[in-house]
Amino acid sequence: MRAKTLRHLIVVGLIVLWELLPRAGLIPELFLPSLSSTLLAGWNEAAEYGHALAVTLYEVAVSMAFACGGGILLGAIVGSLPRPRLLIMPMVSSLYAVPLVILYPVFTVWLGIGSESKIAFASIYGFLPTMLATAAGIQTIDPQLLLAARSMGATLNQRLVRVIIPAAIPTVLSGLRVGGALVIVGVVVSEMLISSAGIGYLISRYRTILDSPHVFAGVLLVLFMAIAFNTAIRWIERKAAIWQTGMRAGQNAADEIGSGAMQPAT
Amino acid sequence: MQATLTIKLARVAIVIAIFALWEVLSRTGLVNSRLLPPASDTLATLADLLQRASVQNDLMVTASEVLAAFALAVPFGALIGFLLAENRYFADVAKPLLFFAFSIPKSIFLPMFILVFGVGFAQKVGFGFFSTIFIVIMSTTTAVESVKVEHLTVARSYGATRAQTAFRVYLPSMLPVLLEALRISMIFNLTGVILAEMYASRDGIGHQIATWGENFQMKQLLAGVVMVAAIAMTFNELIRWVETRCSHWRT
Repeated sequence: MRAKTLRHLIVVGLIVLWELLPRAGLIPELFLPSLSSTLLAGWNEAAEYGHALAVTLYEVAVSMAFACGGGILLGAIVGSLPRPRLLIMPMVSSLYAVPLVILYPVFTVWLGIGSESKIAFASIYGFLPTMLATAAGIQTIDPQLLLAARSMGATLNQRLVRVIIPAAIPTVLSGLRVGGALVIVGVVVSEMLISSAGIGYLISRYRTILDSPHVFAGVLLVLFMAIAFNTAIRWIERKAAIWQTGMRAGQNAADEIGSGAMQPAT
Repeated sequence: MQATLTIKLARVAIVIAIFALWEVLSRTGLVNSRLLPPASDTLATLADLLQRASVQNDLMVTASEVLAAFALAVPFGALIGFLLAENRYFADVAKPLLFFAFSIPKSIFLPMFILVFGVGFAQKVGFGFFSTIFIVIMSTTTAVESVKVEHLTVARSYGATRAQTAFRVYLPSMLPVLLEALRISMIFNLTGVILAEMYASRDGIGHQIATWGENFQMKQLLAGVVMVAAIAMTFNELIRWVETRCSHWRT
């Protein structure tokens, strides 16, 4: 059997099992409600989920602007100057080892349990990978390209717009993909911990009353959000591939970010 | 040599500057000292906390959960990763699925672990295992793939036995990548366990930090944050140091 067919069969099989096992009583409904009852639970409370989704999306959008804007700006500065790069990069990757979740209680004390504390937490959560990716993207630009541009008399502006930005785009995009996913996780996790609105809050509330179908409906919703975001960025990445200058180093950096070597835990 | 020393000094200076800024902001009243107690007070609180039996107990609980999850996830994940790298058909089938599982956020599945295991040791270990296993699988695959085919061919043509190939070729070439994998999976594991403790728990350092936060005990809260950060960074640097010692094996 071809690998692809078998893979599709496995996926279909898992979905069917998800429906059948709880129905047959092999797995208690509390542990794993069947697919149909999960979807039904989500559908019945569509208004509530929709409202929560709006809150979460708003928080995600604001944090994304902070995390990506700040990350790209600082990453460009750190990446283009050799001295701060040597100085700061090892410190930043050491910061990676710290479980950032422990900062969330600090933000709740400072900013309260509203949207502000979630935005602050998620921005910090998504900031590091975006910054590291941008710094790596700027560093891996082929020096030959810069040399060629300079020897043909390109001004700094021209070099920036025509060489540096196009060459850095693929790496920056993969940083955005990881950073954006982390922003979504950061918002939902902080809502799950302490909050009064949003999808994470709904999941936690239904969890405390042991209403599994509603918990799973919320989890599915977040999953779809993460997958939709991922797909959108991948689509842009493919569109931007024409700018790929064929640099092995740039590709490696992009792979490294994507494969989790530079990704904080979620 | 001179340059590396300067850079090291500059890094120490940056860390000291951050603590000094923290101290000054709080002492001069620019920031409400109830929201941000001075650094010196926080460090004093940290020293005091480390003496307390309850905090030591919490640290032990967290450490045992982290170690249990790690001891389960690493061999299991390494086995799957090895099979994945060695068997082409299995890899073709499972790799895209695993990559997908790797790319989705793990934290949102935390409530499911509570529904299944209840609140307790098993739930933390389970979630730690779940958040670590995928990264172990992926790193092991990378490690096996980093073994050069030429080296294997040479070993085989000189008649190396299976054990010799495993210990003389596979292990030395894989070791640096494996150490890197261990470091990263430990980060994932620690984050998973601490998140699980903060979410729903009766003990553990994550639970303690969440409680301090809810009670507005800023000194204890910040001391806890500094403590966990210091532990995580120390472990990270330790493995990195071993990594640089092993790097002469990298081919």
